[in-house]
Amino acid sequence: MSSVLNKDYDVIIIGGGITGAGTARDCALRGLRVLLVEKSDFTNGATGRNHGLLHSGARYAVTDPESASECIKENMILRRIARHCVEESDGLFITLPEDDIHYQATFVEACGKAGIKASVISPEEARRIEPSVNPDLVGAVRVPDASIDPFHLTTANILDARRHGADILTYHEVTGLTVRNGRIEGVQLRDNHTGEDSEAHCRLVINAAGIWGHGIVGMAGIKLNMFPAKGTLLVFGHRVNNMVINRCRKPADADILVPDDTVCVVGTTSDRVPYETIDDLKVTQEEVDLLIKEGEKLAPSLATTRILRAYAGVRPLVAADNDPSGRSISRGIICLDHEKRDGLAGLITITGGKMMTYRLMAEQATDLACRKLGVDAKCRTAVLPLPGTEGKSGDRPRHVYSTAHNAAEGRQGNRVQEVSETSEEDRSLVCECEEVSVGEVKYAIEELHVHDLLNLRRRTRVGMGTCQGELCACRAAGVMCRTGMEADKALADLRSFINERWKGMRPVAWGSTLDEAQLTAVIYQGLLGLAAGKG
Amino acid sequence: MPEGIQLKNISGNNLEQCLKCSICTAYCPVSAVEPAYPGPKHSGPDLERYRLKDNRFFDEALKMCLNCKRCEVACPSGVRIADIIQASRIKYSTHGPILRDRMLANTDFVGTMANRVAPIVNTTLGLKPVKAVLHGVMGIDKHRSFPAYSSQKFETWFKRNAAPKQDGYRKHVSYFHGCYVNYNFPQLGKDLVKIMNAAGYGVHLLEKEKCCGVALIANGLSKQARRQGEVNINSIRKSAEKGRVVLTTSSTCTFTMRDEYAHLLGIKTDDIRESLTLATRFLYRLIERGEIKLAFRKDFRMRAAYHSACHMEKMGWVVYSTELLKMIPGLELVMLDSQCCGIAGTYGFKKENYERSQQIGSGLFTQIKEVNPDCVTTDCETCKWQIEMSTGYEVKNPVSILAEALDVEETIRLNGV
Amino acid sequence: MKYDIIIIGGGLSGLTAGITLAQAGRRVCIVSAGQSSLHFHSGSFDLLGYDVEGKPVTRPLEAIGQLGAEHPYAKIGFERIARLADEAETLLNEAGVKVKGDSKKNHYRFSPLGRRIPAWLTTEGYAVCEEADTLSWKRVEILNVQGFLDFPTEFISAGLKKQGVVCQVKSFTTDELRHARKSPTEMRATNIAKVLADRENLRKVADCINAVSGEADVLLLPAVLGFSDEKSLDELKTMVEKPIAYLPTLPPSVSGVRTAILLKRLFARLGGTLLVGDKANGGVFKDGRLVSVTTDHLPDESLYADQFILASGSFMSHGLESNYQRVFEPVFDLDVDTAGKRAEWTKEDAFDAQPYMEYGVRTDRDFHAIKDGQTVGNLFAVGSVLSGHNPVRLLDGTGVSLLTALQVARTITERR
Repeated sequence: MSSVLNKDYDVIIIGGGITGAGTARDCALRGLRVLLVEKSDFTNGATGRNHGLLHSGARYAVTDPESASECIKENMILRRIARHCVEESDGLFITLPEDDIHYQATFVEACGKAGIKASVISPEEARRIEPSVNPDLVGAVRVPDASIDPFHLTTANILDARRHGADILTYHEVTGLTVRNGRIEGVQLRDNHTGEDSEAHCRLVINAAGIWGHGIVGMAGIKLNMFPAKGTLLVFGHRVNNMVINRCRKPADADILVPDDTVCVVGTTSDRVPYETIDDLKVTQEEVDLLIKEGEKLAPSLATTRILRAYAGVRPLVAADNDPSGRSISRGIICLDHEKRDGLAGLITITGGKMMTYRLMAEQATDLACRKLGVDAKCRTAVLPLPGTEGKSGDRPRHVYSTAHNAAEGRQGNRVQEVSETSEEDRSLVCECEEVSVGEVKYAIEELHVHDLLNLRRRTRVGMGTCQGELCACRAAGVMCRTGMEADKALADLRSFINERWKGMRPVAWGSTLDEAQLTAVIYQGLLGLAAGKG
Repeated sequence: MPEGIQLKNISGNNLEQCLKCSICTAYCPVSAVEPAYPGPKHSGPDLERYRLKDNRFFDEALKMCLNCKRCEVACPSGVRIADIIQASRIKYSTHGPILRDRMLANTDFVGTMANRVAPIVNTTLGLKPVKAVLHGVMGIDKHRSFPAYSSQKFETWFKRNAAPKQDGYRKHVSYFHGCYVNYNFPQLGKDLVKIMNAAGYGVHLLEKEKCCGVALIANGLSKQARRQGEVNINSIRKSAEKGRVVLTTSSTCTFTMRDEYAHLLGIKTDDIRESLTLATRFLYRLIERGEIKLAFRKDFRMRAAYHSACHMEKMGWVVYSTELLKMIPGLELVMLDSQCCGIAGTYGFKKENYERSQQIGSGLFTQIKEVNPDCVTTDCETCKWQIEMSTGYEVKNPVSILAEALDVEETIRLNGV
Repeated sequence: MKYDIIIIGGGLSGLTAGITLAQAGRRVCIVSAGQSSLHFHSGSFDLLGYDVEGKPVTRPLEAIGQLGAEHPYAKIGFERIARLADEAETLLNEAGVKVKGDSKKNHYRFSPLGRRIPAWLTTEGYAVCEEADTLSWKRVEILNVQGFLDFPTEFISAGLKKQGVVCQVKSFTTDELRHARKSPTEMRATNIAKVLADRENLRKVADCINAVSGEADVLLLPAVLGFSDEKSLDELKTMVEKPIAYLPTLPPSVSGVRTAILLKRLFARLGGTLLVGDKANGGVFKDGRLVSVTTDHLPDESLYADQFILASGSFMSHGLESNYQRVFEPVFDLDVDTAGKRAEWTKEDAFDAQPYMEYGVRTDRDFHAIKDGQTVGNLFAVGSVLSGHNPVRLLDGTGVSLLTALQVARTITERR
């Protein structure tokens, strides 16, 4: 059965990562009628699988000055418009005895040129302000790095797009592009939950599907020189550091340690992988070894800190059009007008770039879209705060205790006021590690496009803490049921959630992480009788 | 891979060993009766991860923690839950102690003043109007009776009556008597001297003794606690250098000096830790090694119920006191279920805690009444106040029971004193 | 310190061995590092719930004969299982843990998700049924404490409805329970049990239940009664007009806590010594025998005994440990059955049989532990620390704990 969405859109945006979400917001703010489609959940690709680092740009100052200056500009913008997603931690670029100390001067100079404030501090000072740093360091530079939560950043963009009229469909996969007379007029969709097909019409399609964008343009017979580059990261059980720690040398593997919310994350590796593997990336033991070995050089305590899980994402690297070998890879923003490039009207691809330059990418794509559609509207995303940052935090009375409220505020920002705290049950916690209340879970289910536990985790951090869902997954499934999910579906979902958590734990399953896995199995499979295939 | 990487998981107070199994929550005496207290798991390892991010996640409700350590005893993974909580109170609490807390915390200062005028103080503290003032103005619960102050300090008695002959013994120990023995109940100190002398040991006071500071720590006065701790540890070190082990008769003082000084106050104690021990442990080990023998009166009969004080259990030393008591032929020892009595030092004295404190202990009180022993025995003086006040049963330190049952002459003979 | 027998581990198997040996007149000391996995108990004890292919077992004594030679039951000897099972049942009942069941035929317990799971012995009061696919009820009501999150009523009712049972979910509360729910975290099964230990509070609950319940053959309640004894369970039965049956909750398990407390009380009554919150950390071996052990709290003490039993549990109880390089037994570094390569410890699907679940201490046919390839003549291993079975797959964990403990206790008493 094929149905047609009875609405004509100006723009259909493919991809629910941060680029797609940001583009949807920008387009909607400029008055375009927008549909965003995502085949899975928001942030399912590279957006949800990186460091969560708000680069100052310092990392690229020497090798890629253009990216560096983009970064610092966007860094300052995001601190304003997405304050609730940013933690202003600052960062250190440390020089270890094995590194060339002369690089530091080159680095500081390049930062200066890019407009990045970089101050050289003494090793003693570095040890004082960040006690976890490798004490053997011989030099340190302080830069305005910070951490940013890509899940909540994406959610905030989606919410604002929706508020300005955009329609959002997750779990809707593009199965074909409707091309008529050399111009794209719409997309064919499949609902990945029900299997139903449908069609939507538009004047313009923006391909913001990251590495999957390769396949999208392929549907129109267009070839992009994209290369999936896998990056693996490790999540540690708690924060050992409160500042971002980088190595002061040319960018290399596993040289950044970022404090993210209650954990810290070290990464990444970088390996080209076959395109066929991008939907099911597996972390290898070699990658884990490398990350531990290099991570320990940034902060020695990582060598003895519990690792909660490992995860991998794919960077969509794009080679220059005149270089089919893929050797000259750009890390900058790529905005392709396929009418110009390939003679197919109505299709734009926005790719390359970085999670934290999403707003600029969205601006460039939307500028191009507006030109094509003949719309004259200015970009306002650099000045308008996102939902969660806009407005005031409000002065709700605090209840029995306030830590869950504070934690929710850290995720939802000022929107925490929409989280019900009125009843004792709403204030009670589903996830104790990450302080997620029943009220916040209900809010996410109602407002934030939550269809399953995985969605819920990304909107609230349910199951992202130390125990990786040992009790909270079952409690959350219960709340999902009470808000309307069918019990059988909730149980199947619970099973896949447990498996998704295990996937990340398995590459690091030793010590307490293995103990935890056994306890989880004893509870879910032994006590609760949740087992694959068993009725 | 270099040697040592990911072979051990080391984190502050074993924070990360927590498997979130929630077992500790079943044994927390406070969260059982007080929903405003977030419970050990949540107050400890859960919220610690947030506090590492931002100290606004510190919750003043953590004050309600008794520091009884029952969560730690219950934890199968070795997480020092209560230490995490206490350390975060020291680090983040912005609320300073009020006058009442300072008064309750300074047991030795108040004790010194009170001993001088003990009859007046005892009467005064017992008077209804005074209790009302204490309750209303000071926040000390009106149901509480302060333990009576003795008219003669233990130190004074010791110097006058015991000290001169102590050098005459062949072997020697020191005695950290603590505030309770000194000001409230010198008899326990006298009992210890009696036993040790009979076994051929001379007993000596420390060069300087301050209150161990357990109440100071509990009331947020960690700086003062550290100062006093340094004084005690120096005195203990001097005694140890003379080859004199320092004995105690209070499980709480012992625990505070042996464990909390290092964990919470950062005082270096590792060199003297083994020179500081509970008298029952010292005696048990001497007997086991055959170095001394105790003889007991043939006519001694008693049915006693042993209560495992929280800190005694945390130290793992219950076995010494109970095994020692089991050596007394005329004693029938009943083990009470291990649970907190609710007093937790000065905690139960505060009017905001009184009701909670009594609720916490209620299971224990019921069990004592059911067992109906001749007396209850425990190694902790604050448990003694609480149980005596709440049940009417007399509570004795195991050392006092030993002294009561001891056949002094026969013991002297056996040990060739 | 000198005992006849020292047991490391105070969980189900350690206490079972301790009680049996104390009953035989031995001086026993149990060193127990924290509370045990009884806290995740379902209320039921399992002999064998599923066979190696994952099919539910109806007649466990018969199915046990099909298990491999490495399974602890095979070492006990299949012909002795029935007798030991009876002894285990007797021991539990002596301790005051009232259980019912039959080792010849499994009955079924309910999981907190509403599934039917084979069981051998179930604590009195819990809902059970004789067959997997037939229920004796036509109409039930599930009553939950309002705001109690650890009892997912939706799953239970969906499961019952599939069986054609008319099922309604209701909730109730009282001032005292509402007071408990004020805590965002601490309204756990065990906290509720403490509130309802008070007879007056329980009376109010009974009044609520009588008021809200309608037509039903049975009222299904979360197992939140009886923290340290069964008093409140018996009382509620007399106060509520309709029949009540309990279903397990998420941990901590109230009946598991009670079982642990009751077993410890019996052990103490028999004169046993229990070192709580203390951890054995090493031992002295001489001529193929263990001479003494040391513990964290008693560092300068040696605990001597004639016989030793290791009942320290699996990974989650830290009877086994692992690190980046290997799986090991942390107290004595005994020989462990394990795979060398870390990649082989686990399988990709969480619901597949995970190899690490079967890892454990290697023993001879009499459960003597083996160190550096040599049998240690006076050191036994019992319970979850043993290798050779996957308790999550076979549902044989509590059975192995009880029966191996009884078997070893018997070996020790017969030895003299």
